[in-house]
Amino acid sequence: METANQDSSLSACHTGTSARQQVPQTVTSKGNNTMKVQTSRFGVLEIDDAKIITMTQPFLGFPDSNRFILQPHGPESPCMWMQSLDEPGLAFVVIPPATIHYQYRPELPKYVKDELQADESSTLDTLVILTIPRDDPSAVTANLLGPVVINVNKRLAKQVLLDPLKYDCCWPIGSKAA
Amino acid sequence: MLILARKTGEAITIANNITIKVLDIKGGMVKLGIEAPTDVSVHREEIYQRILEQNRLAAMGGPIDMTALTSALQSTMGPLGPGSNSGQPETEPKKE
Repeated sequence: METANQDSSLSACHTGTSARQQVPQTVTSKGNNTMKVQTSRFGVLEIDDAKIITMTQPFLGFPDSNRFILQPHGPESPCMWMQSLDEPGLAFVVIPPATIHYQYRPELPKYVKDELQADESSTLDTLVILTIPRDDPSAVTANLLGPVVINVNKRLAKQVLLDPLKYDCCWPIGSKAA
Repeated sequence: MLILARKTGEAITIANNITIKVLDIKGGMVKLGIEAPTDVSVHREEIYQRILEQNRLAAMGGPIDMTALTSALQSTMGPLGPGSNSGQPETEPKKE
C-alpha cells in the first residue's frame, strides 16, 4: 500500500524534468495532520493536510471534486497523477508543459491571479492535462487550452481557459513546438 | 430564462457592474460589447464545452499502460531522464 506523505508535494512536478533548476517554495506543514482517503488507483492514501490542493472552481465536468493531490508516476516519468480526494475513481495525468513544449508560457489573466490569491511573492505553477487514448497511448495529446494553474504557497488551483485562437485543447505531443 | 428584446445600441446590465451592449446586428450575427470587472471571466460558451469534453476524455477511470505512455513520450521527445530537456522552467521565476 502506498502512502503519499513524503513525495507528493509540488516538488514532484520537477522531479526528472527540465524545470528541476527551479526549486518550488515548500509550504510549511502546520503540525502533522493527516487524513486517510480511499482511491481506486492507489488504495488508501494517507495524506498530509498540507499537501492537499483545493480547486477555487472545480474542473468543468467534475463539479464534485474540489480537493486533489499530486502523485508522481515514478522516477522515470515526468508525469504526475492529479488524484481527486473527493471521487476515488477520478484522476488526471498531468505534466509540466516545459517538458513537452518549451515555448508554452501563457499569460495569465488578472482574474486568475486574484482567484488564486496570488501576489508578487507567490509561486504559480502550471501543469497541462494529458489525454491518453486507451487503445493507443502513443496518440497522447496535451490540453494547452485549459491548463491547471496552482498557487504553490496557498495550494489553490484552477483550470484556466485561455485564448482558443492561440492554444489547442488536444495538441499532439509529437508536434514541433515551433 | 429571462428573455429581453434589445435593439442596436441598447444594453442590459447585470449586478450593477456588468454591461452587455448590442453593437451590431447583421446577417444573423449579433455583435456584443461586454464590460465587466477584471475578476469576471467571459468566454464563448463553446470554449467551456470543448474543455469539459476534453476533461471527460482525459479523466482516467481505469488503469493505463504506463510503459506504453512512457515510450510514446520518449519516442517523440527523446529520453525523459533527469536533465535531458533543455527547455525553460514553466513557471514565472519569482524569487523571494
